[in-house]
Amino acid sequence: MHTLGSSLRALWACLKKDLKSALTEPLYTLISIILPLNVLVLMSLLVISGGLAPTAVVMQDAGPLARQFYAAMGQSHSFVIQQATAEQANALIQEGRIVAVVTIPADFDSRIRQRLPVQVGVKINNLNTDFTNDIRRALPLSITSFYARAEPSIVTITPQERDAYPHDLDYIPYLAVPILVIGLMVGGMVQAGTAAAVEWEKETVKELLLSPASRLAILLGKMLASFLVGLVGAAVVLVVLIALIGIWPVHWGELIGFTLLILALFTAWGTLLGAWLKRRTPLTTLAIGLFVPLFFVSGPFGPISFFAPIEQLVARSFPVYYAIVVLQHAVHDFTLNTFGPGINTLVLAAFALFGLILATVALRR
Amino acid sequence: MREDMLTGARQTRSPGEPAAPAIELRALCKSFGTLQAVDHLTLTIEQGEIFGLLGPNGSGKTTTINLISGLATPTGGEVWVMGYQMPRHARTIRQVLGAVPQETALYEELSAWDNLDFHADLFGMERKWKKARIMQMLDLVQLQERKHSRVSTFSGGMKRRLALARALLHDPHLLYLDEPTLGVDVQSRRAIWDYILSLKEQGKTVLITTNYLEEAQALCERIAILDHGKLIAVDTPEHLKQTYGGSVVELETVQRINVADDLRALPGVKEVRENGTRFTVTTQEGGEVVPQIINLVTKLVELRTIAVREPTLDEIFLRLTGTALRD
Repeated sequence: MHTLGSSLRALWACLKKDLKSALTEPLYTLISIILPLNVLVLMSLLVISGGLAPTAVVMQDAGPLARQFYAAMGQSHSFVIQQATAEQANALIQEGRIVAVVTIPADFDSRIRQRLPVQVGVKINNLNTDFTNDIRRALPLSITSFYARAEPSIVTITPQERDAYPHDLDYIPYLAVPILVIGLMVGGMVQAGTAAAVEWEKETVKELLLSPASRLAILLGKMLASFLVGLVGAAVVLVVLIALIGIWPVHWGELIGFTLLILALFTAWGTLLGAWLKRRTPLTTLAIGLFVPLFFVSGPFGPISFFAPIEQLVARSFPVYYAIVVLQHAVHDFTLNTFGPGINTLVLAAFALFGLILATVALRR
Repeated sequence: MREDMLTGARQTRSPGEPAAPAIELRALCKSFGTLQAVDHLTLTIEQGEIFGLLGPNGSGKTTTINLISGLATPTGGEVWVMGYQMPRHARTIRQVLGAVPQETALYEELSAWDNLDFHADLFGMERKWKKARIMQMLDLVQLQERKHSRVSTFSGGMKRRLALARALLHDPHLLYLDEPTLGVDVQSRRAIWDYILSLKEQGKTVLITTNYLEEAQALCERIAILDHGKLIAVDTPEHLKQTYGGSVVELETVQRINVADDLRALPGVKEVRENGTRFTVTTQEGGEVVPQIINLVTKLVELRTIAVREPTLDEIFLRLTGTALRD
């Protein structure tokens, strides 16, 4: 008769064996740690380089109003501006090093004072409509902003802002949470998936299947080993996020609890994929291939309620979305859906349980 | 408490009745789509027997083994092991079953000791006996000095020996060995044969699949020949030779003659093979036709050599299945 004791011993044996194997063949462990860091660097570069348009400003007028206009451009969060002579600016745009040249005319101050129309010259390198549209949107914003300060009596409409949260958050700290989720996903799936697939690849699965140990005990042991290795990866990613990005979680308890739950979920699904694919290379390819679409459909850049209904439906079909929601609350105290923490947690737990059940079924020759 | 006591599932036998067969297959079937891999196979292997399962590639040997060990589910028929039905009592059966798969299924990144330790834990061996038992098994297969070496550094023969030690570690009643000496050097092969033969003395039942008829003859008390999933013959090697072999007459003439068809026409001649001046004539049991063969040939030409011998298992196998074993 198989007792709980014998199942626990089988579980412990599988845990111990997989940890030893992970230490002797650390390649996939390293992949699961390096990959999320890679995503973090990639996203950071994308935000840093993609957000602001490099622009040269030719100051033909050095008067106080012209300087105020220049300052307004700098404060619009759309330009990386530099002053240049007309020749230098032309050279820069021809070399493709800037998106636009803005020329403030010599009679700028005097015409403003006389309330005469002023034409600010804009030369755009319109090879990319994304940057071109940035310039087209940002310049009128700079003009309005300039007038609101220079001539408050003319611009009488001012926004009365009331914030939902006590502080603003930059894009990278906001993105840090989805990146952490992706780190947990890739780490859990690659580690658990390869640990499962290798049993078929090296034909050792017979040793497991011919033993009297329960499949559940075998799977839980293997998953626990992958979970522990995945935790190391998650800790590395978290340390990088705290140290380099400067995020400081608001609810540490939630962060730890949800991190464990999310890692368990992706460990179960990784084991399922590994048992299904039975080979490490397709497993790794699939796990890496999955994270890109899952990252983008699950609302990494803002609440999915901002998006179209079909996009919301797709996002809600995958656990990555719920993981982002609960971790955004844990890290930034943000509420991204109306389900409440209980339902979000239950959905994640249900996904984890479903993965475990399917993996148990898939553990066959 | 034993599972059979709880469920009453074990076949009941009265006191004094012989023990349940080690393996009993009843009209066992397994199909993969339209392919009938095992076709109504009925077979009984008694406890304490060393039994060989022979067949050409694709004959259904491995599928049969997989059905016995529960790695595959039958599409028809029944499998009973030590009186327990598979897959209903799969766990109980696995507890009494030791397996040496063809691919050895060893964790090559781990040491020999770690492999055995893992197996012991999977099979729930008591901790107080575990260490001593592992040492005993490593001694048995002469791998004591390499116990902490990674299995990936072992030769093919060492891996086979370690796989055998692992299969015996939990003291199974029934051991199955899939091609136990495949890829093993002659010296290791002999050592493995000795281990297998010693198992019989310990009362173990051993089921072997092999492509080496020499191996089957050396080890097995009985042999079953499978082809296309069907049981072609089952008997002791000696009986198989008597039943299916008859005699083999090997003749060499001083010059080439055209006599093969005449030889085939003789009553009692099963098969004639011609190779230049050499003829191999297989006859049915009994030697009555042998003088007629000699007379027929010597009328035409002088004989250089003549020999009458028993057929080899290879020849019987070829006759029964129409194919060589290692084709």
